[in-house]
Amino acid sequence: MQGNSLRRGSVAGLPAGSGSALPALLLVGLFFIVPVVALLLRSVIDPEPGLQNYAALFGSGTYVRVFLNTFLVAAVVTAVTIVVAFPVAWMLAIMPPALGSIVFGIIILSMWTNLLTRTYAWMVLLQRTGVINRALMGLGIIHEPLPLINNLAGVTIGMVYIMLPFMILPLVGTLRAIDPMTLRAAALCGASPFEAFRRILLPLSLPGIAAGGLMVFVMSLGYFVTPALLGGTSNMMLAEMIAQTVQSLLNWGLGSAAAFVLLVVTMALYAIQLRLVGARRAGGGI
Amino acid sequence: MLLDYDRLGWLRVALVGFTAAVAAFLLLPVVFIVLLSFGSSRWLAFPPPGWTLKWYQQLLADPSWIDAALTSARIAAMAAILAVVIGLFASFSLVRGEFRGRQVLRGLLLTPMVLPVVVFAIAIYAFFLRIGLAGTTVGFVIAHTILALPFAIIPITAALEGFDKSIEDAAIVCGASPLQARLRITLPSIRIGIFSAAIFSFLASWDEVVVAIFMASPTLQTLPVKIWGSLRADLSPVVAAASSLLVGLTLCLMIVTALLRRKLSR
Repeated sequence: MQGNSLRRGSVAGLPAGSGSALPALLLVGLFFIVPVVALLLRSVIDPEPGLQNYAALFGSGTYVRVFLNTFLVAAVVTAVTIVVAFPVAWMLAIMPPALGSIVFGIIILSMWTNLLTRTYAWMVLLQRTGVINRALMGLGIIHEPLPLINNLAGVTIGMVYIMLPFMILPLVGTLRAIDPMTLRAAALCGASPFEAFRRILLPLSLPGIAAGGLMVFVMSLGYFVTPALLGGTSNMMLAEMIAQTVQSLLNWGLGSAAAFVLLVVTMALYAIQLRLVGARRAGGGI
Repeated sequence: MLLDYDRLGWLRVALVGFTAAVAAFLLLPVVFIVLLSFGSSRWLAFPPPGWTLKWYQQLLADPSWIDAALTSARIAAMAAILAVVIGLFASFSLVRGEFRGRQVLRGLLLTPMVLPVVVFAIAIYAFFLRIGLAGTTVGFVIAHTILALPFAIIPITAALEGFDKSIEDAAIVCGASPLQARLRITLPSIRIGIFSAAIFSFLASWDEVVVAIFMASPTLQTLPVKIWGSLRADLSPVVAAASSLLVGLTLCLMIVTALLRRKLSR
């Protein structure tokens, strides 16, 4: 046993156990924990000690609207993502591998494509004179171009596009882990396909849906780029507001307070997600 | 038989159709942007009135685009190397260490992935303003290494957990030093994890926009910052050309990854 514990030393010959995590701990401690804590402190001392930044944040209709809008967008995006992702994950779990690998390839390609590239494409596609409006008008479905950008519709389309892989990939794992025999048994006992879906398949995949949905919700809450480019000024989200408050208005106190609120909400939801999936699988799509 | 592909009946037609539609939805922007970059319309009309390479010529003739791409590549390469090396050391401790607070440490090192980037961006920006690292390459590399670290730690710890430690012990029993055993037995065995870590941490930095927007200076900007600036100004087709080159790069990376994985896992 003694020899064993000696061997457990790191590659660099640092002391056993925790030693080799030291560089990571130093890096994260000095350049992550310290700056974030300093920022949070700033929310109660800038421009002067007190809670006036939080009072300003929750006392103003403008900021409260930003909070509500942020939650609304995140909820809509999560709901749409779940509904779209579930059938795809279901098929991917049982499809012949040759067919499935094409779909997986497309998912990975879209996921790895530069975020700004994807958002730019949607900016062009969703324009008033963009391809989608023209196609719909050409088909005679609409007569006036639909307002698809700089509003909730634009943000939802762009965000669902980005979040789909994060929902589909973990769900495939959940669905693959379900024993097909349970459904065979249901069919033998006379359950209709709809009943088997409602009473067996859906409940068994619920943990995966909850975990993935929570992850999508948390990611959407703090999203900056896509809402800033596809959303409108009337439905600004929290991340954009924080960036603007700090960068354009140079109001560090207020920006820090808003950042603190975002941090607390995110971390609380993340803690729930950890409970749901266990720390190991919290990594998500990779 | 809801989980039996061959016995789904009419449901299969509907579900496969839906899956195909979603796949098309996921592919649409990527294909669209590439087609658009060859279109001759300044106003991004589609289908384009004619085909041209002039947006690529404009792109490659503009030194600020080339500079931005080189800056991005340099920063991403440095951040990826640092993240993989630091993450590798940390992973050994996270997987094999026996000390209290190991799970806490794991959670702490993965936090940069779940904290909204904008919070980290303004925090590190304020911090770097104070210590004089804002707008510097060093500052960029440090910030991006922190963001890339979870993407390095997750695949490496996964690979290390899947590696049977008794093989390493066997090498030591056979006379290898612990260091030799690690370098010649363990590292080669977890190479797929290390390789994934390198790809993911490179992409984490290469694609990063939010921290970069704050960190950039007039003389130091990465490709995403350059694209961001152009997008806010207008929807020039030059951005489509730059984006298409990025799509090409992604495809190359995917193919290289697939080939290397096949080779490494043999």
